[in-house]
Amino acid sequence: MYYIGVDIGGTFTDCVLVDREGNHRTAKTLSIKDDPVSGVLAGLERLAETVGVDLPTLLQRAERFGHGTTIGTNAVLERSGARVGLVATAGHGDALEMMRGAGRVAGRPIESVFSVHGSRLPAPLIVPGAVVEVHERVDASGKVVVELDLDAAAERIGRMIAEYELDSVAVALLWSFANPAHEKALAQAIPDVFVSSSAEVSPRLGEYERTVATVLNGYVGPACSRYLSDLESRLATPLLVMQSNGGVLPASAATALGTIDSGPAGGLIGVATLAGAYGHDHVVASDMGGTSFDVGLVVDGKPMVAQENVIDQYTYRLPHLDVRSVACGGGSIAWIDEATGGLRVGPASAGSEPGPACYGRGGAEPTVTDADVVLGLLRSEAFLDGRMPLDRDAAVAAVGRLATRLDLTVEETAAGILRINNMRAATVIRQQTLERGHDPRDFALYAYGGAGPVHAFGYAAESGVREVVIPLGDGASTLSAYGIASSDVVLHRELERSLLAPFDGPALATAVAELRDAALADLAATRVAGDAHVEIDALMRYHEQLMHALDIPVSPAADGGTLLADFDKEYVHRYGDAGTSPFQAVEVFALRARVSVVAGIPIARPQQSASTEPAPTDVYWPGHGRTRTDVYRGAPPDMITGPALVELAHTTVAVPPGATLTAGPLGELHLKEFS
Amino acid sequence: MTIWDGVQRGYIPGAALRIHESLRLHTGTADVDPVTFEVIRYALMNINLEHGQTIQRLAVSPVTMITRDFQPSIITESGDMVFLGPYLQYFSNAQALTIKWILENRSENPGIEPGDMFVSNDPYVGTPHQPDTIVAAPVFVGDELFCWVANVMHQSDVGGSVMGSFCVDATDIFTDPPAFPPFKLVSRGEVRRDLEEMFLRQSRVPTDVHMDLRAAVSANRVATGRIVALVDRYGADAVKSVMNRVLDAGERTVAERLAKIPDGRWSHRLYAEAAHTGDTGIYTYQITVRKRSEHLYVDNAGTDPQTGSINVTYAGFSGAFLAALTASLTADLAGAYGGVYRRVHFEPVPGTLSCADFPAAVSPAGIYTMETLISLSGAVIGKMLACAEPDVAELAIGPAHPVFYGLICGGVHPTGEPFVATNADNMIGSLAASPAGDGIDFGGHFWIPEGTASNIEELELLWPMLVLYRRALRAGAGGAGRFRGGRGFVEAGIPWTVPGMAAAVYTDESFPKAVGPFGGNPGSAGHFRLKHGTDIAGRFAAGEVPQDFDAITGIEAQVEAKGPMLMMGADAAWEWTGANAPGFGDPLTRDPDRVRADVATGVLPADLAERVYGVVPGEDETRALRAELLSARLAGAVAPAAAPATVPEDVPLRPLAGELAVVERDGRPEAFVSVTGRVVLAVAGGNFKDGCAVLERPLHDVAPEFATREGRAGHRTRYREYLCPVTGLRVDSEIVKEGDEALHDIEIDLGEDW
Repeated sequence: MYYIGVDIGGTFTDCVLVDREGNHRTAKTLSIKDDPVSGVLAGLERLAETVGVDLPTLLQRAERFGHGTTIGTNAVLERSGARVGLVATAGHGDALEMMRGAGRVAGRPIESVFSVHGSRLPAPLIVPGAVVEVHERVDASGKVVVELDLDAAAERIGRMIAEYELDSVAVALLWSFANPAHEKALAQAIPDVFVSSSAEVSPRLGEYERTVATVLNGYVGPACSRYLSDLESRLATPLLVMQSNGGVLPASAATALGTIDSGPAGGLIGVATLAGAYGHDHVVASDMGGTSFDVGLVVDGKPMVAQENVIDQYTYRLPHLDVRSVACGGGSIAWIDEATGGLRVGPASAGSEPGPACYGRGGAEPTVTDADVVLGLLRSEAFLDGRMPLDRDAAVAAVGRLATRLDLTVEETAAGILRINNMRAATVIRQQTLERGHDPRDFALYAYGGAGPVHAFGYAAESGVREVVIPLGDGASTLSAYGIASSDVVLHRELERSLLAPFDGPALATAVAELRDAALADLAATRVAGDAHVEIDALMRYHEQLMHALDIPVSPAADGGTLLADFDKEYVHRYGDAGTSPFQAVEVFALRARVSVVAGIPIARPQQSASTEPAPTDVYWPGHGRTRTDVYRGAPPDMITGPALVELAHTTVAVPPGATLTAGPLGELHLKEFS
Repeated sequence: MTIWDGVQRGYIPGAALRIHESLRLHTGTADVDPVTFEVIRYALMNINLEHGQTIQRLAVSPVTMITRDFQPSIITESGDMVFLGPYLQYFSNAQALTIKWILENRSENPGIEPGDMFVSNDPYVGTPHQPDTIVAAPVFVGDELFCWVANVMHQSDVGGSVMGSFCVDATDIFTDPPAFPPFKLVSRGEVRRDLEEMFLRQSRVPTDVHMDLRAAVSANRVATGRIVALVDRYGADAVKSVMNRVLDAGERTVAERLAKIPDGRWSHRLYAEAAHTGDTGIYTYQITVRKRSEHLYVDNAGTDPQTGSINVTYAGFSGAFLAALTASLTADLAGAYGGVYRRVHFEPVPGTLSCADFPAAVSPAGIYTMETLISLSGAVIGKMLACAEPDVAELAIGPAHPVFYGLICGGVHPTGEPFVATNADNMIGSLAASPAGDGIDFGGHFWIPEGTASNIEELELLWPMLVLYRRALRAGAGGAGRFRGGRGFVEAGIPWTVPGMAAAVYTDESFPKAVGPFGGNPGSAGHFRLKHGTDIAGRFAAGEVPQDFDAITGIEAQVEAKGPMLMMGADAAWEWTGANAPGFGDPLTRDPDRVRADVATGVLPADLAERVYGVVPGEDETRALRAELLSARLAGAVAPAAAPATVPEDVPLRPLAGELAVVERDGRPEAFVSVTGRVVLAVAGGNFKDGCAVLERPLHDVAPEFATREGRAGHRTRYREYLCPVTGLRVDSEIVKEGDEALHDIEIDLGEDW
């Protein structure tokens, strides 16, 4: 029996298989953007070959089939989603368009936030004009102030659907999370289109973000549903769909919105799973690719969750694994800031087209990858298993042009590019850890993605981390697919409920019980079998701190005294005691339940590809200069001491002078003593 | 003699600061390679961003946590600003001024020591108005003062005669909120309870202020810790050298751009109405910028003498100008603006509305005079940039709203707790049109990039009110132009679950203040309306949420520009607006297809397409209608003294902006010319308005959108159009107080002594 995970990315479709013994196989094929189902099947065919069976047999033997898709993300970024109309409370239909006045800058890099020049609002998500405002009103307490005339409203919505030829309707009424009656009635009354209701999609305070979530769900929903049912019809096993919350759900229960950013969540959940087996409970998960660098945290064995997300300048709230992205990857372009004379790297990227100068596809600007080639960390003939030779001369020329202007050698310049890129990466790591009151030195850093293992020694040292792990060794480049295969079934359910300290009455226990029941009911509706595990966090702050939230676990007994003490402790931990406020009440403003059914698949043990005898090469190691360096093809079984390069199928592990690299019992690699 | 001492007159530091010898300043430097430079620069920038994010998380007042009416910064040991965050930009130099004053006046007594933090809200020292409270922390390395971290935060209420501390009825600072010169709130790491309580005692909402003040202290501590760690790693001298180089780089950047602007002089004038409650006067603010080689000289001559509550001190004047300048000319520096400031030399006339002497009242400045001065500065800068080389000319971004439209209500929650509801939904904003194109609808405000409006649900959670609607304003005469200004919003609400509340601060303009550059229409005026004894409860019961304020029955209150506090019962309803931002260029030159696109999407009513833009369905009909409208303009206008001479077709024109161009001889401007009509308007050293036909009308006659009732200031303002005498196209226009002469506002220096 096989456990299969498939992750579609922009360039590659990754397929991973784990069997009951933990044997691990991977296949990497090019994604087929116009026909993703065929792309998945082609990948599975390759995967079948690795275990010596045909595709139907592979599918027959699949006990569990997890899948992460970028259909939703692409639909938003390319504006190729459904024709959505919006139903809003009378007087509030423009909230989506007005974007709280922040739509021009939301989610944009800091370097461009100050500038009006060239800034714009994002393209609309709904069909322009397709808005029906219905006369109804609920107030902050959830009381109905104005009754809904359901028939009249449904009739107008029907006319809007016809007039604008809609295939999707999003219903987002004011205060619907406090009293969903009107929204539910409307959602049930709308026929024949994909209907999203805000109290279901994102039952949280803030009509703008809730409306965005609902409209996005409606925008990507039809295409996601079509694709997933098409794919499922080709499989022999129920399809489990990866969600951004780090869990999978049966295709019938998965939300379209939850597929957005589910790929990075798959990577982080893969890390969390492996970290348990490797013996790390505090982990920085870092994925450096061609254009971006993604960072997530595992603390006490749990991946960290965030509420707010931004896609194409639209902000919405949905509990998702907190994976933060910064434009700093192999394709990041190095340039000189004329005014300061300083060397800068990014945020502009050469991407994959034209890509770094060394790709020989017409790119002339020096990138981080070009710097790697100049230094010798990436060897031209060994890139991607020799399938894509790199043009070293082009890299030297591109970096050399900068070097001349900086009055540095070409190697010094390349080392400088890496140092700055590493510092940008480390900044994200430090922000993620320090703002939560953690010390990066207490973390192990897991490095994956094509450009992760080659740079990890640098950005790990810069952020203060002392151990780097290349999870799955040779399989690190398909880590997200492994995460998707191994994810638990996870549902989040939220309840917006304001409770002021001291939490000594029955209100807390009542709310917790209510939420637990609702979450279990949600799970029952998915018909997933297995033991359900419920964890509940209180979202807490001082009263009126609307932009602030600390997630504090609620003890099984829902003990208010403990909760308050835990909040105080966490607050002081993060902000120091000058910030604590005996003069303002502590508040629970929402509760979040996570209900899960454990996947329980074996920990993957990747095949050890036989390591070759080391061959010598020359590498310019930052801080050491040009040094004779051993190159291994495949991970060596015994500990090696740097300088060394270990070339794997899709990435290279750089082991600087003095550092050690050891293969772990589960095929992972440990890099130490690098700082 | 009165000096710029921060006591009798706004503080302007001298060339050398007088710092007590007991305080040792770190001034070391080191050679830093280009790579280490970037590593440290990026770290410093991120420290400041983290400082801002910490404030945002820990604060409780929406004006701080959502509106982002605050600003963190990193400042050198001697008070030069290195990094500003993407928050309120007119705090550009508030911290720097306050810190320089602290260095000069507090370094001996009580002394400046590690772990200290100073608090000040004194506008004569450095803050724009009293609610903007500065907390400044010296950062020591060993026994040397290495640098400062500081923040300014708008506190919800710091006392004074009006809830929310925008005291429009103040006649001097003694009826304004108290202004505290810098005092040491935190001494060697300990918060001084006595001083904290003294400060909080002034507030109507001391708990909110307490939380926000502690947020400011905590955030400073976070930033201080990060800087100390950076110094530990790279050395104080290296970090300081990076700070200095960032400053130098900002200076070099602005100097390079100033080099692409001809020497000259540019002026603009903007009016405010009502100096205090009960007043209907019109008051003049003027700013003139002279540019010579790579320096700017800025004065406020022509501004009326200080009066009422519509004043600011030097801190406000300079802060507003620098915010507008950096947003247009050097926004790519992303907050590293300190070096830019070195090239701006202020020559303020004291005793004026924009540079008041003690004891003038200034507290309403945060919603009035500061915005007036930012808008005014933007207009002057736009004129200057129009004369520059194309890559600098395109940096013009148009004038900001001249007022921050807002509503502050107060009252008592059903629980008995008092509240002050500062509704800053005008963060939805709208950007002015610019030479590059239309302004951005709901584009916020360029001077507070990360400012965000509240969700309605947040307002209703915090305060006992119910919002009937918050909708986009439609386009119309307000904001029309070749490129139209961005659209704003309109919002209406009622008291909810309480027997009533009071509207303490509101804005109802009797005329729009900001004219569109180069013939663009003014933006729309902001309005506040109030009805008592409405039928809203009945309409709720009948299943309707009222959506049209005119159709709500009840008695409409007569509202004044800076009127008194208005009491509102449970059956009252209010409506208030933001504004559409000013347009750019003559509306009759707007591409008809863009007008039709706005009609098709419901943004512009079809009848306004015809009335405002001269656009009707057919191309020929549109051409004919526009020709008719242009001749009507000329028929009503006073022709220029001299008969118009035109420039031959084969002579190339260098366009400046809209219909204004110059002809050059030997690469130097020779004459101002209209673009389409090719009429010589003036020699290059003269005033192009002299060659224009002038059409002058009462502003309220120009469009129904600008109407107001008799007796209000708007009835005494006029709209003056400067037309090409051949085509009738607008070259420029002015809003003027009755009797005010034309402003000679663009002078390009021809090399003579000027």
